[in-house]
This record gives sequence, C-alpha cells and structure tokens, in this order.
Amino acid sequence: MARMTPPERMGAVMMGEKPDRVPVVPFILGYSAQITGVSIGDIYADGDKCFDAMFNSMRLHGYEQTPMYGYASLGPWEFGGEVMFPYGKGHSAPSVTKHPVMSIEDIENLEVPTFEKELPGGFKESDKVAKRCVAMGMPATIQTGSTFTASSVVAETSLFLKWIFKEPKAVHLLLEKVSDMFVNALEYFAETYGPEHCMPFDGGPVEANTILSPKQFKEFAYPYMEKLHKKIKELGMPAVLMHPCADQNLNIPYYVELRKKLNWEGRYFWLFGPETPIQDQIDNFGDHDIICGNVDPPSIQYKSYEDVVRLCKENIEAGKDSPNGFVLAPGCEFPPLAPPIKVMAMMDAAEKYGRYD
Amino acid sequence: MDMDKETLFKKLADAVIDGDEDETARLAQEALDTGIDPYDAIMQGCNKGMAEVSDRYEAKEMFVPEILLSADAMYAAIDILRPHLKVDDTVAKPATIIIGVAQGDIHDIGKNLVKMMLDVAGFNIIDVGRDVPVETFVEKAVEHNAKLVAISALMTTSMMNMEPVIEGLKEQHSGAKTIVGGAPISQDFADNIGAAGYGKDAVAAVRIAKKLTEA
Repeated sequence: MARMTPPERMGAVMMGEKPDRVPVVPFILGYSAQITGVSIGDIYADGDKCFDAMFNSMRLHGYEQTPMYGYASLGPWEFGGEVMFPYGKGHSAPSVTKHPVMSIEDIENLEVPTFEKELPGGFKESDKVAKRCVAMGMPATIQTGSTFTASSVVAETSLFLKWIFKEPKAVHLLLEKVSDMFVNALEYFAETYGPEHCMPFDGGPVEANTILSPKQFKEFAYPYMEKLHKKIKELGMPAVLMHPCADQNLNIPYYVELRKKLNWEGRYFWLFGPETPIQDQIDNFGDHDIICGNVDPPSIQYKSYEDVVRLCKENIEAGKDSPNGFVLAPGCEFPPLAPPIKVMAMMDAAEKYGRYD
Repeated sequence: MDMDKETLFKKLADAVIDGDEDETARLAQEALDTGIDPYDAIMQGCNKGMAEVSDRYEAKEMFVPEILLSADAMYAAIDILRPHLKVDDTVAKPATIIIGVAQGDIHDIGKNLVKMMLDVAGFNIIDVGRDVPVETFVEKAVEHNAKLVAISALMTTSMMNMEPVIEGLKEQHSGAKTIVGGAPISQDFADNIGAAGYGKDAVAAVRIAKKLTEA
C-alpha cells in the first residue's frame, strides 16, 4: 500500500477504509507548548498561540491529531467565575479560583451564556483555533461536555456532589443550564463553520466510577449527554470525540444505550481511560465506531522509550483489527512535561506494529 | 428513658453511614448528657460507622457523594464530643502525618478524604493544603517531627513534584517516610521515585500509613 499523508490516513479511517497504518492521535495539549517554546498558560489564555503550538507540534512529529482547544475545568469562566491559567510550576491546565455557584440560590440566579455577541470565556479562544483549523481544511474540534463534569466545577465540587442527595432538583437545574450553554455552543459553531466541519469533543473525569456510581451516572449525567448528542445529530455533525475519562467501566452500558437510542449514522471516536480493556471497547462499540487506544499517560511520562514502545505495541495488537478502525492514543492527555522521545515512541510503534499492508 | 451505650453507639454508626448530620449531632449530645465517655462514642460510634463506609466504598457500594455526607455527619458528632475528651498523659501521642497536594495541583477532594480517614484512624494530621511547594512539605515535616508525609497528585505534571519531596526529606528529616496517591499514581511509580508506600484510595492509604508508622 502506498504511504499515506496524515489527512489521508485519518480520512480513510473516517470512511471505514483501511489506512496504510494505524493513525496516531496523541491527545497532545500542554505538551505542544513545552516543545514550541511558549508557556502552557499561553496556549489556554490565547487561542492563536494554542493553534500555533499545536500545529507546529503536529508538523514536527507528523502525527494525525489536529489542533484543538479544551480543558477539564471548562464551565466556571463561561458562567462568570474565574480561572487561573497554568503558568506556575507543575500546573498543566486552567484551574478554578472562583466558582460561580456556591449556594442553591446561585443556581437559580445563574444565567446561561449566549453566543450572540462576544463568546463566553474559553469559547472565544476555542473559536480562534476553530477558525484557523477550518481555513486549512482541518476539523473544528469543540468542547461540548461533559455537562456533568462542567457542572461539578461551575459549582464548588464538594457541594455539588453532596447536593446530588440533598438538593437533587437544584442539581438538575444546574445541569440543565450548563447543557443549554453547550447547546448554544453547538449551534454557534455549526452556523459559523458548517456542521460538516465540526467535531464535538465530549467527556470528563467526574463521572468516573471512583467518584460516581452507575446509578448516579444514569440519573445525573446520562440525560444531559443524550440531550447534547441529539442536538449533534440534528445539526448533522459527522463525528464526535468521546472521552469517558478514567475508570468508567460501570457506565459503559449507558454509553452503549446512547449509541442505540440515537440510531446515529455518524461516527464516535471512543477514547476511554487505561482502566478499560481495548477488547471491551471493541465488543461494545467496534461494530460502528472507531476505537482509540488508551496507553497509560503516567507511564508515558516516567517510563523509558522502550517501555512506551512496548505499551503502544500491546495497544495496537489489541485494537488494530477492530472492524471500524483503530487509532493509537493515550488514555488521557499526553503528559505535558514528557520528553519528545515519548511521542517518537508512539510514532515508531505505529510504524513498526501498526501497518496494514 | 436513656438508651444503653451499645444502642447509642450503633445508632451513631448508622447515622454516620446514612450521612445524617442532624442525627449524629443529636446522638453526640445525648452521649455527653448521659455520661458516656466521648472517646468511646467517637471510637465505637463514629469510627465504626466510617469503617463501614470505607468497606462499602471498596466494595463499590458507596461512592464519593455518600462519603462526603458521611464525613460531614461524623464531624458533626466529633465537633461536639472532642472538647470533652479527657487528656491522658500516660498514653503515647499519635504519630503526626503531614498531608498535602503536590505543587501544581489544586485538586483536593481525594486528599481531603484521605485526611479524614487518617484523622478517624487516630493520627495527628497537619494539612498543608494544595499546590504545596516541595520546601513546605519538608519544612513542616521537620517542624512537627512527622513520621509520615502523604502527598497526592491528579496530574502527570504535579506528580513529578513528589520525588523532590522524598529527596528533601532524606536530607533534612530522614525519620519521615512518604506515601503517595492520586489518579496518575501507581505502585510502580511509587517504587520508581522511592516512596515508602502507595495508597490506591483513601482506605488503602490508611492501611499503609498504619503499617509504616508501626514499623
């Protein structure tokens, strides 16, 4: 098979065809800043710097991931709270310094951000990245979830988790408002760039079963995920990047239900945490979707090049023949401080063990 | 009619499990009013309830929202009982543990759960907060003659600030051991950086803390 370019490789996977080799989407965010000479804080505070760093990192390494903007604590800034950008030692993503919701009354008074004039918070930076991506023929990757994780930081997190029992109606009201913000975001990006150019990115760590029970997931996370994915389907967006972060094995039946219930013809990219065996992902989603790898991110950070190649090899061997395609990826963000040789380890593993010809 | 001690302890434990802070506060006051030793009420009521909560978390029967409510309920009782504890100078002082979140990290729910469990287990806890510089961990360990330093991290960036604490302790307070935990941490990583222990969750952290401080 002739050697493909990265866009051809991803295009083949998207079309359900075999590429020349397994594509590599290393889920790089902060790392791109480290190796292009800007601070991690800058790529979150300025969408243009984000695009430049991620585009240059992509060119440098030759992987298949295109630039994207997003972080786990998205939500508070957009609802009028405050975040701190990661300029300090050891910081890797924006963190909340002022939650907009500290009481039930705050939930009642919370106003859903609109996208009619100035875009709210991080979406203004995300828009800069989307604009430049689409202008160059790459997808506009937009963070539109998860509603549950975003709500858990719009409100002070411990209070939010306790309100699940003490104030369930108020929790639902907050989830409704946060999901309405994401609906507004989906409509804005679809209208601005065309739905065919948009790839929503949904996922978060607070739904993990180390925190939340599957019953709580069903009652408080699932309905708002379904609401957003219905919207994605209505708008005609062709693919969604789903990242059920950390251990969400007990939630898998609900992700399967989502898929079935919407009867959607688009494609999901499933990027689970390292706790979910690749075979389980294939069994649940492989018939229609693209399975991403889940190499353990901390291992990428501190283990040797050889160890990382071995871990990638195991990932590739487990997923390569998934019926609708496989992409090599870590199980969460690529460690921002990892040395570049670790990206090389992923690329080398894909070349050596991921070829289809 | 006053209920007997054992019944009160059982009700206190159940109220902790149910996360009912009004009930735990009421029972704590009743314990004091009826002359029950507050130490017994804490150990046989609150602690037993929290131990059951730990077991249910390990068995995936309880999750973090319930644990947070149980913790509030437990502290509602302890806040009433603690001022009435008798001081016994003949009993050895509990080991001191410095606990905090590694530099670069502000995620402290996990740390707070571990702190609460260690507190319940009888340790003297010094909480140095979150986003804690390496030097602060070491200085506080020296200042309080700590036996253990417990560090948590949720990010692959902040976890890299654990090893310098271990190195600093070796130089300045070699009597202290270190336990580490948090989402990106594994036994392998703990071994790699020379930590004495790894707690995969709050329950395991208490187990390893007891083992290391008894050694």
